[in-house]
Amino acid sequence: MATDLVPEVVQPAADAPRQAPPGKKSRRARRPVPLWRDLLRYRWLYLLLLPGLAYFLVFKYLPMYGLTIAFKDYVPFLGYSGSEWVGLKHFQELFTGPDFGRLMFNTLLLALLTIVFVFPAPIIVALMLNELRVNVLKRSVQSLIYIPHFLSWTIVASLTYLLFSVDFGVIANWIHGIVGGQKVDYVAQADWFRPLIVLQLLWKQTGWGTIIYLAALAGVDSQLYEAARVDGAGRWRQFWHITLPAIRPTIVVMAILTSGHLMDSGFEQIWLMTTSLNRDVADVFDTFVYYIGITQGSFSYATAVGLFKGVVGVVLIFGSNFLAKRLGQRGLF
Amino acid sequence: MTIFSRRRLAGAVALAASTALLASACSGGGDSKGGEAAANELTVQAPLFGTAPDPNGELQQAVEKLIGKKLKITWVPNAEYGDKSNVTLASDNIPDVMVVNEKGPSFVKAAEAGAFWDLTGKLDKYPNLKPANEQTAKNTMTNGKTYGIYRVRPLLRSGIVIRKDWLAKLGLKEPQTVEDLYAIAKAFTEQDPDGNGKKDTYGLIIPKWPGNYASASPYDVIETWFGAPNGWGERDGKLVPGFDTPEFLEANRWLKKWVTEGLVNPDFATLDSGNWNDPFVQGKGGMIIDVNVRATQLLDLFKEKNPKDFDKVTLVGNLKGPDGQKHSYPFTGYNMVMAISKQHIRTDEQLDQVLQTLDKLASKEGSILLTNGIEGRNFKVEGKYAVPINQDDPKVKAIQNDVDKAFIQLGTRASVGMGAYPLLPNDAPSRAMREKFDVLMNEDLKTAVFNPALGVIAPTSISKGQTLDTIIPDARIKYLSGAITEDQLKAAIKRWYDSGGTQIAQETNDLVNKVGG
Repeated sequence: MATDLVPEVVQPAADAPRQAPPGKKSRRARRPVPLWRDLLRYRWLYLLLLPGLAYFLVFKYLPMYGLTIAFKDYVPFLGYSGSEWVGLKHFQELFTGPDFGRLMFNTLLLALLTIVFVFPAPIIVALMLNELRVNVLKRSVQSLIYIPHFLSWTIVASLTYLLFSVDFGVIANWIHGIVGGQKVDYVAQADWFRPLIVLQLLWKQTGWGTIIYLAALAGVDSQLYEAARVDGAGRWRQFWHITLPAIRPTIVVMAILTSGHLMDSGFEQIWLMTTSLNRDVADVFDTFVYYIGITQGSFSYATAVGLFKGVVGVVLIFGSNFLAKRLGQRGLF
Repeated sequence: MTIFSRRRLAGAVALAASTALLASACSGGGDSKGGEAAANELTVQAPLFGTAPDPNGELQQAVEKLIGKKLKITWVPNAEYGDKSNVTLASDNIPDVMVVNEKGPSFVKAAEAGAFWDLTGKLDKYPNLKPANEQTAKNTMTNGKTYGIYRVRPLLRSGIVIRKDWLAKLGLKEPQTVEDLYAIAKAFTEQDPDGNGKKDTYGLIIPKWPGNYASASPYDVIETWFGAPNGWGERDGKLVPGFDTPEFLEANRWLKKWVTEGLVNPDFATLDSGNWNDPFVQGKGGMIIDVNVRATQLLDLFKEKNPKDFDKVTLVGNLKGPDGQKHSYPFTGYNMVMAISKQHIRTDEQLDQVLQTLDKLASKEGSILLTNGIEGRNFKVEGKYAVPINQDDPKVKAIQNDVDKAFIQLGTRASVGMGAYPLLPNDAPSRAMREKFDVLMNEDLKTAVFNPALGVIAPTSISKGQTLDTIIPDARIKYLSGAITEDQLKAAIKRWYDSGGTQIAQETNDLVNKVGG
């Protein structure tokens, strides 16, 4: 009985703020106002919206005009209009070129590893922290583990080199002492590239990621736990039927947002960890764009690759949002 | 709505709107001044090796006084110079005079589109800009066209820096041949040259090399000793890339033995090239193959550590290969050119004016200012040498810094490694080392292996460089570290040909035949 009841109780609690001014809402719904009158009536509020709109227009939409160079042989000296229009040439080059398969594979594999290992980590840590009784301990652990988030990737990469270098790496030597055998060059070898990237991500981002889940957990009504205890639910039951459903919407939203960034492999991190030995597994779209665009000066080709990446990101966001709705979750939009 | 008074809200909105307007006005205002070229001002972009000079500093004032123009110099840290140059080339704000790699893809594209002045045959009028060396002038051309005034450098700077005290301790002589070098590396690794009873040293230190193939890396130098071409070389009447020769494979087979036997630092694929000196100074490794000035650098570092006992470095020139012949690795004789953009310099008269200014900068007087400083302030002349003076005065120190870290980069005649007056170091070992530079250079120049294709750049490598450039250096390091076999290294060379290298080789041959090597 209790198991059926609990989610029912959670839903209205989460929805409560939305329904707070029911009177106003229903009155407006009954008498539809023409748009211009609405605009006139709330003109000051709409005016407040203008700077925000202007920001998006000027800094997000206008620059998109520059995307046209993906379809041109852009030479800066000739300008946007002066450069020759070549249509889909750069896309053809990308899809048929020798790099595409490798880039796609590396990018997707890293994304998959991120989903499997990095995405759930903050959820697990947040749930574990939530179970801690001693508040001081909970707070201090929480603060300690999110500090790495504020370190730049350059520092993280340097630390990794210091700890794992085959010559003087503390951890590398320590592992060598235990395992013995041939010394392993963790930072250079291709086989260790992906594990190191995932480890770095876990170390740097897990603590920061817990914040949002902990906030969601703090919002759970403690009366629910009390009621469940009265009904005889144990720790595990409480977790399964109260805690988890409570943060499920948060998890879904985070999952959708993450899916939009699947093609972003984190340029800095990968660029800093790339060596001659691991380039085959390290090259991803982000580093490729930098390499051909900034260091090689093929602006059009780089833009085409970036545009392709962006389109995939949009498709993924809409896809996962659709999927979430299909699975009965609320989705993002 | 009732909480806020309408008037107050309106005020806030107006404020927000005006801020937004202001912001957009600011961002739009940037390029308005771009149109007119101020006749008495010259904008310049150049690399920087330390802190940027004060535009109102003594040295800049002196330089401006000499040329009679205001200088507006954008100093870009050397480590990011290439990136920043490409971004600058993509902007609508190209400086009048730009220090630039004349074979970089984005520069070549810009130059071919007409963004820079073609200076072919235009420099002979100016006594100090007229190329001093025909061969170097040819090397600095881009497929037969001169796009800039080259910044001269010593023609040969390669050498081996060795721990002198380790050699003495183990009773070894300076190497003459590659076999000697191997024996020394072996001894440095296995015979405990630092005498601490532990086997914790290695022979040679190699860093993660930031450049690609044929970029004066230790690998390139060693391959040349073995008889491989420097960059491009003639085989059966045709130019082939250096890595497509048996000598290339032989050299790397030899070097792989070093890696396997632990004679090279184990982190040679990852060691940051900025930390190249560290293992040498810390007594972990005993040799570095690089430019000769590294020897004086290392001497200075040892001196910092122990001013009483620092004479621990020796410099050796190029070596004889296994065939008993000596092949030396020369440098290009220049490092980037100063190109003149057409953005503000539109007419021939304006160009003439800029060239006259650059001519003044390259005069004897200008060269002294750029490479030595202000006579009587930060240095005095002693014979043919410049001797630093007043270095304790912070103002003089600022002049010295501006010279060494920045303005020397504007020199085209006298420049890094060849000042108007050579610097006289203040201790005997460094002085002896400096004098060795010229001796070794002149000796090794007799056996220098020049790159016949320096003056050309194949169109395919401009358009497809991104996929090709890393194939060979990556495969070389993989082979040396044991990640791939020699057959896989050969396969990588074939992959280079298949992914566009064949065209590059063809175009390079055609271009060299057309414009001459």
